[in-house]
Parts: sequence; structure tokens; C-alpha cells
Amino acid sequence: MSSHAATTQVKANWGGGGVSPLGASYGKLYMWFFLVSDAFTFSGLLTAYGFMRHKYTDFWPNPGHVFHHFPFYEGSIPLAYVGLMTFILIMSSVTMVLAVEAGHRNKKNEVAKWMLLTIIGGLMFVGSQAWEWYNFIVGTPEGAVRNILVDGVWKDQLIHGANLQYNEYGLPVFGDFFFFITGFHGFHVFSGVVINFIIYLNVLKGTYEKRGHYEMVEKVGLYWHFVDLVWVFVFTFFYLL
Amino acid sequence: MEFNDGYPSYEMMALHDEEHGKHVRKVIWKVFWIMLGVTLVELFVGFQAEAWALSKTFLKVFFIGLTIVKAAYIVMSFMHLGDEVKALKWVILGPFIVLILYLVFMVDLGEGNYAKERRYVMDKNVTNAAHHDAGAKHEGGEGHH
Repeated sequence: MSSHAATTQVKANWGGGGVSPLGASYGKLYMWFFLVSDAFTFSGLLTAYGFMRHKYTDFWPNPGHVFHHFPFYEGSIPLAYVGLMTFILIMSSVTMVLAVEAGHRNKKNEVAKWMLLTIIGGLMFVGSQAWEWYNFIVGTPEGAVRNILVDGVWKDQLIHGANLQYNEYGLPVFGDFFFFITGFHGFHVFSGVVINFIIYLNVLKGTYEKRGHYEMVEKVGLYWHFVDLVWVFVFTFFYLL
Repeated sequence: MEFNDGYPSYEMMALHDEEHGKHVRKVIWKVFWIMLGVTLVELFVGFQAEAWALSKTFLKVFFIGLTIVKAAYIVMSFMHLGDEVKALKWVILGPFIVLILYLVFMVDLGEGNYAKERRYVMDKNVTNAAHHDAGAKHEGGEGHH
């Protein structure tokens, strides 16, 4: 037993796994470093987008003309729906941070309540994004004539909506970037909902209550806020500018 | 589990009482209202951009500036980076400060503008070539947007 006592003594340096650096637990550090690398992935995508957009400024579709649909409303309100989506995501970020705060007070039921609201907010956002994609893919009833490649020959043809090959509203590369970047972000939201749901079940089971702290909720919270953070940038670069 | 690393354990650092919780929640809601307000201002200016004839440069600086304000609130307040030690803050934010500088000079002031200028020159060449082809009974401008 005396040999055991020797190994639990305070270590003087970082190595060997005993010391967690920078005053944060290993779990939180790993999550932060993952998020830094993930942020660089998004930066790469948005940099390519910014470059192409800068190059083709004069051909770039006006987002206000492309995204003006609102559910159950026939007319057009530019950007109102994305505004609502942004509100939903910010709101779910708030419920997440409230769950973390409740965890700091060891209140199991409160944590569960806020986690559930976060999951609902995430699902609403993914659903809204699907609806946004639907409208962009279907396009307007009038459509537009575009010079597109059909069976290896360039032809002027009436097209509706957008996909990866053509785009009713303007340059096809706008559609490519839109689908890829909002798709990649949407996948992050989806996986965030799945992760939140797993942690939510653990909260209900009392796993963290037994452990004495809700650090796990804080860690998935970091991921969830990151998803919100990326959306803030996507919102600016795709819809506002 | 014991760390014995000179820092207090997670429970000691993170758990707080009812009184402190009230204060934390107040801050959370304050940040929420600021973020909502900023988003509404952005949308309003976005609506009015054409009517007010705002310049593209002004819009860029305005929107990107407010986006960074929102991002700072998310990272510092919601993600609690503001409460971490100074070294961790720099480890996480440092790379992005460099990245932002890179993007400003590369995309907006440097290579992006160069690519645009080159495009104008090439478009002109293509148009001239198309005119030339049209003279030789050819359908010009194919495959070009």
C-alpha cells in the first residue's frame, strides 16, 4: 500500500497524464482543440466562397431575391425566414447554456428540461434548412433561360431552381457553395442533436447525478455553441452581404 | 478520480449555489437580448441597403464587424472562454487572429481582386474572339456565362 501512496503524489510537470494543463480538464481541452480544427475546416470552405464571390461580384445572385419565401404566406419577404432560423438557433444556444448552469447547481430535472428544449430547437432548425433547400431546388414557376450543358452540348434552356449543375438565379457556383456549406453546417446541427439526445438520456438515467457533476453537459454544450457560432458566419456571408 | 495537479477538481471549480446561479442566468439573458438586437439591426440594414444606397464597402465592414461582435459573445460568454486561464484563451484565439489578417489581405485586398481583374481582361479577349468567329459564320460566345 505504501507504493500506492507514492504514485498519487503531486507531479511537478505536465507529462504522464496526471496533470491536466491550462487549468481545464482533459475532456474540455480535447473538445476545444477539435473545435479549433473544425473551425479551420469551415474557414477553408468560406474562404473559397469569398474568393469566388469576389471574382464574380457582378454575376452574384442577390440573396434577398433568392431567399424570400415564408411558410403559409404567398407573397415574398426577403430574408425573414433565415432571420427566424437564426433566432431559433440562438435560442437553442441559450437553452443549452441554461442547462449547463443548472448542472452547476446539480439540478437533474432542470438540466433535463433545458436539454430537451435545446434538442427541439435543433430539430426545428434542421427542418427549416430542409425547407429552405426545397425552395431553392424547386425555384420559381417562371424559371429563367440559362446556357447549360446538355449531353455535351451547350444550349439555352428554360430551367427552374438550382442544383449542382445549373442555377436559375445566377452563377451555378453560388448553388454549389450554398449546398455544400449549409449542408456541412446542417450535418453538424444534425450530429449535435444526436449527441445532445444521448447526453439527455444519460441525464434522465442519473449518470451525472451519480458522478456528482455535469461536466459532460458542458462539453456537448461547447459543441452546440460552436454550431451556433458557425451559423452566425454563414448567415452573414450567404444572406446579408 | 483524483488529478492532484494543483488545480481544484471540476466539482470544486464548477458547482455554485443558488445565489450565484441567479447572477449567471441574468448574464445569459442579457447576452441573449444583445445578440437578438444585433441580428435584428443586421436584418433591417440588409432590407434597407438598396433604398439607402449604402456602399458595398460600408456593408462589408458593418456586417462583418457585427458578426465578430456576436461571435465574441458566443465564445466568451456561452462557451465560457472568458472564464478560462489566459494561456488557453491565446491558444484558441491566436490562430484565428492570424487567419483573419490573412483573409483580409488575401481575399479582399490581394488575390481576389487580382482574379477579378484578370477575369475582366479574359472576358474582353473572349468577346473579341467571338466577334472574330461570328465574321467567319460561326455561332459565338458558346459555353460562356
